[in-house]
Amino acid sequence: MFDNRDRSLIVAGSIEEALAAVGRGATILAGGTWLMRDPRRGRPLPGALVSLHKLAGFNTVDIEADRIVIGAAVSHQELGRSLAGIAGLEAVVAAAASAANPAVRRVATIGGNLCTQDFSAADLVPALLAVEATVELQGVDGTLVIPFSSFLADRKRLLADMMLSKVFLRRDILASAHARLPLRRAGDYPVAIVSLALSADGKICAAVGSVEDVGRRWTALEEAFAAQPSGRPADAKSAEALAVESNDFHGRDGIEADGWYRRQVLPTLVRRSMSVLLNREVGR
Amino acid sequence: MTVSLRINGSSYRFSGDPMTPLVDVLRSERFLTGTKAVCREGFCGACTVDIDGQAVMSCLKPVGLLDGAIVASIESMATGDGPLHSLQAAFLAADVVQCGMCFPGMIMSLSQFLRENPSATRTEVKAAMVGNICRCTGYERIIDAIMEFLAMPKEGPVNG
Repeated sequence: MFDNRDRSLIVAGSIEEALAAVGRGATILAGGTWLMRDPRRGRPLPGALVSLHKLAGFNTVDIEADRIVIGAAVSHQELGRSLAGIAGLEAVVAAAASAANPAVRRVATIGGNLCTQDFSAADLVPALLAVEATVELQGVDGTLVIPFSSFLADRKRLLADMMLSKVFLRRDILASAHARLPLRRAGDYPVAIVSLALSADGKICAAVGSVEDVGRRWTALEEAFAAQPSGRPADAKSAEALAVESNDFHGRDGIEADGWYRRQVLPTLVRRSMSVLLNREVGR
Repeated sequence: MTVSLRINGSSYRFSGDPMTPLVDVLRSERFLTGTKAVCREGFCGACTVDIDGQAVMSCLKPVGLLDGAIVASIESMATGDGPLHSLQAAFLAADVVQCGMCFPGMIMSLSQFLRENPSATRTEVKAAMVGNICRCTGYERIIDAIMEFLAMPKEGPVNG
């Protein structure tokens, strides 16, 4: 039994109350599926926490004509269900519906997934990078809307005094795909993830998760795709070959897999995801 | 922090560390030891309980987030001197239980899943069980039992 009777948990009733708690040093508690494991990692839990799950707009997915607005406290399960069948967002649905296990997906939130800085295997990170999502941050000085890639690059500084409130998805993506490699010894976490998205202008965005400490766009591969005669690889096998040539990742070593292995499997995941992507495009 | 919730139909008032995992409240405060604390990391599923109609791992659920919640543990599925829950009875009839450590969590996960998916396929059942690990049985006999259970004529919806 935990016995820190001085620990505080505020269930915020307003953004202002939440920001005030953050300003006093409280840690944001999202679904808790990562934070609750801190004692198992030998880390003490924070002494002060604030939950956002009762804030208006934090639990909803609004599907609008030209964009989708996702509250930060939306669970993976709810996200997958809400976006199922929407053309172009297949990678996000696959990421939300395949992360961890069903009971964790019912609780783990998109905000927690994107803001947990030491969780490298987050499925939603490469998926949202590939579809070029944007995020909304709330702070005492106002609201900031920035590309998700910019948020990821500067996450630690931004989250020092701001909180993620919304994620925005475009509706002009033609198709996307998400390929992940789980291993038995890695439990619920994939050792490498590749997400691809095809825009209306023919551009293919590629993103990788779990291979390095933080997910990132695979710009070398995107450039290699764009340099092909038709502006994209002819087929999935060609995409795999380009991925071998463009592989500039430095895999992280971990108990689930060695760094070289994570790097090595990327071209195969590119082939798999490209095969799905091209089939989806043909099927449209 | 003080939190009021209902556990297996009874009102309960918790006062203490809000980050206390629900599994510890159930086992140490309420003596509901059917809920097993095994991995405490959300991997094994042995601590699964029903919270507001959803199967959730109680090791990862801080009690401080449960004000007003309705919690059901494995003990709520059968009274002890009455008939077993139909899924428990199906497992017993098929003799699929070995050490029994994982089964409370399996019952709690599957009862919600089967309630919502009474026509589930074998593949869907397997996907639903991803978060419930069993180190004794090899799973296939459990899944056989579930498929037989699904094929049985029912008087009404899956209970529980």
